[in-house]
Amino acid sequence: MRFLPLFPELVRQLFREPATNRFPAKYLPPTVTGFLHDVAAGRARLTPPVPTPPEFRGKIAYARDSCIGCGLCTKICPSHAIELLPTKKIRIWIDQCIFCSQCTSICPKSSLTMSPEFLLADEDRYSEDLIVE
Amino acid sequence: MSDESKKAPYIVPIGPNHPALKEPVMFTFEMEGEVVREVDFAPGQAHRGIEWMGMRRNPVQIVHLTDRICGICGVSHTLAFARAVEQVAGIEVPERADYIRTIIAEFERIQSHLLWAGVAAHELGFDSLLHLTWKVREQSMDVIENLTGNRVNYGIVQVGGVRRDIVLEQHPIIDDCLGTYEGLLGKLLSLFLDDKTITMRCRDCGVLSKKEALELCTVGPTARASGVNVDLRQDYPYAAYGDLDVRAILPEQHMGETHGDVYDRIVVRLLEVGQSCQIIRQCLSEMPAGPVTAEEKLAKLLAICKKAQGEAIGRVEAPRGECFHYVRMDGKDAPHTWKVKASSYSNLMSWIPMLRGEQIADIPIIIASIDPCLSCTDRIAVISHGHRSVLAKEDLHRLSVEKTRRLQR
Amino acid sequence: MTPAGIAVLLLWCVVLSFFALAGGLFLLGVDRKLAAHMQARIGPPIRQPFIDVAKLLQKENVVPGNAIPGIFHLAPVIALASSIVILFYLPVGSILPVLGMYGDLVLVMYLLTVPALAMVAGGFASGSPYATVGAQREMVTMIAYEFPLAIVVIGIAWRIGAAGLSSPFALATIAATPIWTVVGPLGLTGAFLLLLVLAAVTPAELSRIPFDTQEAETELAGGLLVEYSGRNLAMFYLAQGVKTLVLAAVIVAIFFPWNLSGFIAMPPWLALPADLLFFLAKALIVLFFAVTLVRVGMARFRINQVVSIYWIYLSMIGLLGLLLLMADAALPALVGVGP
Repeated sequence: MRFLPLFPELVRQLFREPATNRFPAKYLPPTVTGFLHDVAAGRARLTPPVPTPPEFRGKIAYARDSCIGCGLCTKICPSHAIELLPTKKIRIWIDQCIFCSQCTSICPKSSLTMSPEFLLADEDRYSEDLIVE
Repeated sequence: MSDESKKAPYIVPIGPNHPALKEPVMFTFEMEGEVVREVDFAPGQAHRGIEWMGMRRNPVQIVHLTDRICGICGVSHTLAFARAVEQVAGIEVPERADYIRTIIAEFERIQSHLLWAGVAAHELGFDSLLHLTWKVREQSMDVIENLTGNRVNYGIVQVGGVRRDIVLEQHPIIDDCLGTYEGLLGKLLSLFLDDKTITMRCRDCGVLSKKEALELCTVGPTARASGVNVDLRQDYPYAAYGDLDVRAILPEQHMGETHGDVYDRIVVRLLEVGQSCQIIRQCLSEMPAGPVTAEEKLAKLLAICKKAQGEAIGRVEAPRGECFHYVRMDGKDAPHTWKVKASSYSNLMSWIPMLRGEQIADIPIIIASIDPCLSCTDRIAVISHGHRSVLAKEDLHRLSVEKTRRLQR
Repeated sequence: MTPAGIAVLLLWCVVLSFFALAGGLFLLGVDRKLAAHMQARIGPPIRQPFIDVAKLLQKENVVPGNAIPGIFHLAPVIALASSIVILFYLPVGSILPVLGMYGDLVLVMYLLTVPALAMVAGGFASGSPYATVGAQREMVTMIAYEFPLAIVVIGIAWRIGAAGLSSPFALATIAATPIWTVVGPLGLTGAFLLLLVLAAVTPAELSRIPFDTQEAETELAGGLLVEYSGRNLAMFYLAQGVKTLVLAAVIVAIFFPWNLSGFIAMPPWLALPADLLFFLAKALIVLFFAVTLVRVGMARFRINQVVSIYWIYLSMIGLLGLLLLMADAALPALVGVGP
């Protein structure tokens, strides 16, 4: 097999486990939302996604109580995803967030942190899951 | 019927949407049977106005926008931009930060070249090799994710340094990944270079002679595959490359001769994966201790950038070739001018001599062989009253002169 | 023929047609699954081709503005019908060819070109440059593989004829006397070479990598089929499945005609399904080596490379096999031994 070096590799792979992680299920369910309902009801099992490393930059978590409303984060957000509310608190539009984690570094009170949550797909960009306040 | 009319050329349009093109660009081929007689292309299908956005933001914001210029060579753009701003503002980057920048940039090169190798195999109809290389590529993505916090859009470079240190606990992960690649490189070289079907398709296909490569100012692996000894890491060392021993990879080192064809471009890119592994190893062992950023407080950094006045360029050897950022600041929050020249911009014109005289079957692999990144390249789209118009050389020259005058004021 | 006889014949044809459609899609599903596993993927479930066809049948049937609607719509029908018809002339398991008395291997060889011709007509009628280039390539490919295919058919039939059997081109004869049983060691080598040639022709007949220049996803975006959608595409897809089954049946009929009921005694009601399953298993093995393994392990050839491979290399191998078979038949007479 000098001229076609891939053949032995292919045959070997045939008897090995596939490399794909079976998230959320081995085959695409007929409806994903229906599948998620089944999972919630305990009728189906969800294969977990590949674990995230430490210090992964996922959805922003906001500690509202410690926020002093300085507005530094709004100045530094590259995508203008953070809005300073008249109440001296902030609102983050995750839909617009680019997960650069800059606001978490500038926050003087460490009120903003990056959570490891990354499953943020939604049908509505203004849904409750995508607004942090 | 005479021979002439029998062979009447016909037009085959390819793009902006076509399975062979991973990026939007419009080709018009004038064909004679299966042979390409003349070729023209029109980029500008994915203009996103990113420079316009940048000129309304401060440098600390822009640095994360530059990550989004290209999904593959994000760190090259951030690095080039950061280096330009650092020069304008006179910020001295700590040595350790330079080494970390180098490590991330080399990991990016590894994953970019492996990604390209997979795409090239796919263009040849060799999907198994695509899946194999992308499976292998995953480990470098995991390491990048571990080092920076994300698989793409790393956001690790900041004006004045980097945002995360590489701690001792991360060394085994990096070592493990490098060991895997060094072990796999021989196998990858054999799978790509010994395969008879790949040799049949790629040898002497899409040839770009050294003369043409020089005349068209090609950069990166495209130029090196034609035998042009250019590599910014060797010719104009930045970050930590000055301390390291980096030599441009040329195909004759491995094959003994230079054809300047698609095959040579595969050779150069695969060998650069091995070279990147060596560079990372060297960086890890020689990395000095110290801070990773010149100014830790972002608010202070903003103030420094706001005071900065002047102009500078940042040049970085991206996986695809030289990436070039021009920044001019005039003491305001936002830069006065920010101009990006992605590496593909310099390489696009080489398509014309490569494609002329080749067959339809070779179009996809030749287009892919320069590793085009059109979304990074597109900086302009001329549309007036809903119609696209074309600017000729004279128009462009006039506009450039006008712009330079405007900048000089 | 009596009316009852015709009715039985028609019934068999209907049953076989359904078997062809279902079996073809099943083979495509297994092919996709195996290919996926070799590429370290999970791949779609085996029933995926059935889902695809069901979905395509619900989709809108778009006809391009500058297509010739008549030919454009007729081509998929002809392609599907002609591929099913070929199966009527081939033995499937222990079922002898339904229309065996009306045609033989030579007819099958000719019929094999009809689906390809229908696709060429459909491609030219699409009015798209991609489809036109694809149609031209399909014709070139057909011309290229026809000669090696003919060598195989003639070689095997000639050898069986030389063994003293009457009507050597009839598939019933070929199925009853496996080529391996009538030849000596030289002939075995020759027959093996012909098997290799036939296996190499299969990917081109089925337009699979490395000989899929006429469809070439990354070059011509689907080539011949680029303008087809909805019901028409579903019919081409079914035709592809049936053709896969037919090609497997041809290889099985010529080279591996044994039946399970020939080895193990079993009652007739069990023999038929057992033989059918055995046939499918043989078809799967043949397709794995001739199509699946080849299509995942190689890059696509250029059209000029396809032609030179078939005309020069495979024709040479085929002719060598034919010579060996002839030598094998002539040797006993020369040496003066044997029957």
